[in-house]
Amino acid sequence: MDKAKLRIDLIVVAVALLLAVLFFFPVYFSLISAFKSNGEILRNAVSLPSSLYLDSFKYLLTETDFPKAMLNSLILTVASVVCMIAFIPMAAYAIERTARRWTNGIYVYFLAGMMIPFQVYMIPLFKEMKTLGLYGTLTAPILIYISGSVGMGVLLYTSFIKGIPVEIEEASAIDGCSRARTFWQIVFPLLGPCTASMVVLQGLGIWNDFLMPSLVLHSDRRTLIVEIFRFVGELASRWDLVFAGTTMSIVPVLIAFIALQKYFVKRNCRWRHKRVGGTRQLG
Amino acid sequence: MANTMANTKAMRAAAQREAKKKRRISYSIIFILPAFIFYTAFVIYPTLNSVNLSFTSWDGVSDQVRYIGFDNFKEMLHSERVYNALKNTLILSVSLVVLENIVALLLAMLVDQVRWAKSLFRSVFYFPVLLSGIVMGFVWAIIFNFNFGVISQLLDRIGLSEWKIDWLGDPNYALLAIIITTVWKGSGYYMIIYLAGLQGIPPELNEAAAIDGANRAQRFRHITFPLLAGAMTVSVMLSMIGALKIFDQIAVMTDGGPGFATETLTYIVYKVGFGELRQGYGTALSLVLFVLILAISLIQVKLLRRREVQM
Repeated sequence: MDKAKLRIDLIVVAVALLLAVLFFFPVYFSLISAFKSNGEILRNAVSLPSSLYLDSFKYLLTETDFPKAMLNSLILTVASVVCMIAFIPMAAYAIERTARRWTNGIYVYFLAGMMIPFQVYMIPLFKEMKTLGLYGTLTAPILIYISGSVGMGVLLYTSFIKGIPVEIEEASAIDGCSRARTFWQIVFPLLGPCTASMVVLQGLGIWNDFLMPSLVLHSDRRTLIVEIFRFVGELASRWDLVFAGTTMSIVPVLIAFIALQKYFVKRNCRWRHKRVGGTRQLG
Repeated sequence: MANTMANTKAMRAAAQREAKKKRRISYSIIFILPAFIFYTAFVIYPTLNSVNLSFTSWDGVSDQVRYIGFDNFKEMLHSERVYNALKNTLILSVSLVVLENIVALLLAMLVDQVRWAKSLFRSVFYFPVLLSGIVMGFVWAIIFNFNFGVISQLLDRIGLSEWKIDWLGDPNYALLAIIITTVWKGSGYYMIIYLAGLQGIPPELNEAAAIDGANRAQRFRHITFPLLAGAMTVSVMLSMIGALKIFDQIAVMTDGGPGFATETLTYIVYKVGFGELRQGYGTALSLVLFVLILAISLIQVKLLRRREVQM
């Protein structure tokens, strides 16, 4: 019996291992190719680099707009995520705690946005940005990212806030806290796990986004991904350079993933009580 | 005397309550307002405006916007290119929904069953989800490259050079290359959904069935699979909507080509609007895409809800 079970376990691991190799291969391929010369990629795509070839990185960092593009991506990601966290939990809190007919209406109105694909309003949005004089500035994508995340964000935060006992807020109100102070000092810290998920998922989406920034930004404000896309077109025969670029976009994601794994894989947007040794703790 | 005093007291209390309620409402408004303004200005307004723009021949550059009635929609009905894009979209979405869900379910069951390094396997399968479609589209384009690509190099090495395929240059294979890339990139996301579903199934059910003599296949068929229906509804819905919106891979791997072989509805909106500067027509096409997405999601929810098992 035990032997049969072990055999099944081994088969499962073997299949999983095979698939894992298959799934990891493109990432591996991209990482190793960044350290090869163009000729070596063309001759020997799969094997490890024969020597550590760093010229592509040097070229990207000194001869192209790549560092600027990285900075642009970083600014966009950080600014958008900070604004999202400043506005969305607040709105979700008011919607959830006021619980009137009109707030319910607003809740539905916000959620409807999740059904609208970006491509549907992309062209009118492009026109709107030109009218407002924001076309080409970094402000435009930031505004678009904040707006686009309202639906999802409100959904996540309201369901999380629903689980937080009102008594905490009532106690702070009795102590003379204003609504704003109650929210930022008492409620907001309790939303930590939800905020972490939101930061990770939205931040990643913005870091990787291509279509919108390629449409609303001028050439001097290109983001990392837009710059890589341009390389693919212009440096079509210089795979080594493009691979160095792709590696530099993958590595931050890989580091973030390893460091913040639990926020990537689990949806933490649910309030949980855990009884640990008689005291209540946040799960 | 005592009566009037009680009355004023009650009135004052009522007034206080009223004031408090008003204050509460005004706080709510202030809290909601920023999100409301952003969302209305940059999601709802342009969406509504797209209806307006779809009746124009606007080119995206000039200040003049000319109304042409239903001409854009009429042109669509007679456009071979639009039918071709619709066909590609359907092939792409149906194959992606089927393949991604099969692969995701398989991966979820493997990760659920595997005895060693569970979280490592989960991470490896999930990681492609986190990468940009542009970046991974490029990497796969190199893997598929006819002359120097990984697949061609491997085939050369084992002496099967005649099996080499010009994946991205041959209209018959280009869409398949996009499908492979997307399944690789997307399945991990749906795996997480199935994994949550699998972990929600009480182990007692499987144990009881095993004691009753059900083998693995029977237990999967009669316990696991029906109880995963909820996860499947979510996963099929999301993968369908995701498939209809695919953009990055196509942009970097084929640019809709060769010819129009990989041009989907999403891609044609972009090409027509920003490549050919016909934004009025592009908007009209995007509305059709929107209606299609809405209709498909509603139908799917109806159909898939029917077979869900309540626990």
